[in-house]
Amino acid sequence: MSNTRKIIIDGHEVEVDPNLTIIQACEQAGIEVPRFCYHERLSIAGNCRMCLVEVVGGPPKPTASCAMQVKDLRPGPNGEPSVIKTNSPMVKKAREGVMEFLLINHPLDCPICDQGGECDLQDQAMAYGVDFSRYREAKRASEDLNLGPLVKTCMTRCISCTRCVRFTTEVAGITQMGQTGRGEDSEITSYLNLTLDSNMQGNIIDLCPVGALTSKPYAFTARPWELTKTESIDVMDALGSNIRVDTKGREVMRILPRNNDAVNEEWISDKTRFIWDGLRRQRLDTPYIREGGKLRKASWGEALSAAAAAMTGKKVLGLVGDLAPVEAAFALKQLVEGLGGSVECRTDGARLPVGNRSAYVGNAAIADIDSAKQIVLIGTNPRDEAPVLNARIRKAWSHGTVVSLIGPAVDLTYDYTALGTDRAALAKAVAEATPVEGALVIVGQGAVSEADGEAVIAHAMALAEKLGGKYMMLHTAAGRVGAMDVGAVTEGGLLAAVEGVEVIYNLGADEVEITPRSEGGPFVIYQGSHGDRGANRADIILPGAAYTEENGLFVNTEGRPQLAFRAGFAPGEAKENWAILRALSAELGRTQPWNSLAGLRKALIAAVPHLAQIDAVPENGWTPVTLRDMGAATFRPAIHDFYFTNPIARASVVMAECSALAKTRAAGPALAAE
Amino acid sequence: MNFLLRIFTWWNRSQTSGIRLFTARKGVKVGEDAEGNVYYQTADGKRRWVIYNGEIEASRIPPEWHGWIHFTWDEPPTKVAVAHKSWELPHLANRTGTDAAYVPAGSIRRDAPVERRDYEAWQPAE
Repeated sequence: MSNTRKIIIDGHEVEVDPNLTIIQACEQAGIEVPRFCYHERLSIAGNCRMCLVEVVGGPPKPTASCAMQVKDLRPGPNGEPSVIKTNSPMVKKAREGVMEFLLINHPLDCPICDQGGECDLQDQAMAYGVDFSRYREAKRASEDLNLGPLVKTCMTRCISCTRCVRFTTEVAGITQMGQTGRGEDSEITSYLNLTLDSNMQGNIIDLCPVGALTSKPYAFTARPWELTKTESIDVMDALGSNIRVDTKGREVMRILPRNNDAVNEEWISDKTRFIWDGLRRQRLDTPYIREGGKLRKASWGEALSAAAAAMTGKKVLGLVGDLAPVEAAFALKQLVEGLGGSVECRTDGARLPVGNRSAYVGNAAIADIDSAKQIVLIGTNPRDEAPVLNARIRKAWSHGTVVSLIGPAVDLTYDYTALGTDRAALAKAVAEATPVEGALVIVGQGAVSEADGEAVIAHAMALAEKLGGKYMMLHTAAGRVGAMDVGAVTEGGLLAAVEGVEVIYNLGADEVEITPRSEGGPFVIYQGSHGDRGANRADIILPGAAYTEENGLFVNTEGRPQLAFRAGFAPGEAKENWAILRALSAELGRTQPWNSLAGLRKALIAAVPHLAQIDAVPENGWTPVTLRDMGAATFRPAIHDFYFTNPIARASVVMAECSALAKTRAAGPALAAE
Repeated sequence: MNFLLRIFTWWNRSQTSGIRLFTARKGVKVGEDAEGNVYYQTADGKRRWVIYNGEIEASRIPPEWHGWIHFTWDEPPTKVAVAHKSWELPHLANRTGTDAAYVPAGSIRRDAPVERRDYEAWQPAE
């Protein structure tokens, strides 16, 4: 910051970048300016007029600090720094006037409004509100919108800050919301009463400074001050979004995003936000043992000794599911490999190279998307696989980044160059690549899950090399990178691993089909949180905790280890995943050398040192995979239904509603106006 | 026991000595309800009162006498019968504080409170 300017805010002299707005300069000086419409991550609207400040020597009226840059301030007559006052009587009077206008049409709904307690208008009315109304005319009321099953509207409360309109058009990239009418009649509406076609729409609930947009599934269930807040990590996609889990008693009441500029900025996808009703349904709360073809409830002692008896002396395969924390994957690997068996985490058949972290994670961080000049997507639909990452690519695109896609045509909410849909297009791109500035290659799981997956990875890495850019693997499973890091893999992949196996220890892998017992299939011990495909096939069920119910380490798609914390206890008899494995190891007579999660983590970090660097992306040495010929097929998507990718989502009623709505929308006739 | 209660608590007395005296001097008996409470008024009809058969508890007055004793209507139900609908339940006095008082299904004051489940357990397929 060689080129800075000195300004005086409330008597404090600060030196700031002249390109900042006054509100940002005030923030740097540690002075809070009230605002409704201004938001750091959205464009500037300047229509709420709450951030008025006084510019000394400027025009004799207050200035909206969000819409004026420091470089536009006039210095004093002798070149003195310009003076800004944020707490003068003029400013206070101006803000009180603005607040009075805002409150004219705002209903006195606070006691029945879900925003109560976390409402910007409520808070700021405490500082700038007048205690009576001078307004004697009729109040304005507006009709509520139907925005779908997630966002509840009460448009009479709207103060027309337009944050929701700016978010949906700029970040989410959909066009359904807008503002119509003028003056008192201006309204936020949805175009032709359409519901929102975005899997990031829940963020407008957080953005809304009043109670006009609130969460529909959470409506009237809790007040913010009675919730226990736990900062944790999301597992719905491999992005590892930072979340805050709000619980009342044992129940998760809602999930909100946390700010992490390196990962999710401050957005989360709808699956992350509204998954919590799935945490209450279809729960495994007691051990089961299959007897005479039927599952019966059992005690922990019975179930563990039955599992140990079944595993002793047999060829065991441990399957690590998509939502398993690193600790559980590590403990399972130690247990099963101690018995002479093998473990496998690539349950979708992805051909991720074992031990080559630069190939299965890459050398790019998520934040590199912002500075990339050219992004090549290979066999991926980031809008479904990681919506927040897609929003980040969209942000880069809106700043001029060129995006191209090799793979099936999809709606990514931004324009991209289609380079072809099949492997030949990728080979051609590699052959024609010339070095460009700031290139980034992102490979999806759909591209690497078929027999020639390693060849696709080799080509993608070669493309990144020839473009002189970075390479990133976009995973779909939150537990995958962590399980790969601890080496929960078998040489040869899933097909080699199931060869001649007699017992499968299934740690929450519900997306795999296991041959039924009647057709000579293996004995299955299932450990997981939800009754899904895995539990139905199981011969012994050991109920485990879901991701909000245990402390765990998750490594996201860029290789960043992050800690998730327990927000509540697991239901019924269910136990934490590592503890079940520890108890089973004792039953097998091979007691694992730890008695606590801390002890397990110590052993884990001794084995995989980079997992100790929480919230940091370790450097991966670049080891290209040997180029070989790919097949000829077109790339296939990794995800078929965004709302049903894991057992928790499949148990959720809200996700089912969203999925049904998305299907009707996809099947319905396209609008003539679009 | 009841004898002691009647001495020391006025609400178990059914009438105080003042009321007994006043009723003897001015009271004209108007009628009696199913519970045995006796209704009186003065000769000019300016005052109306009740002498309870047992505990003094205002909610024991049934609706037909309630209207008369509150001067809602002039004639007592003994003269003009109050119409009852077929769906009306028999009158009950206020049960708050008794064993028959209402408590919600999940209340721990119930003998067998409804078990609260904050999650739905998976059931194996048959």
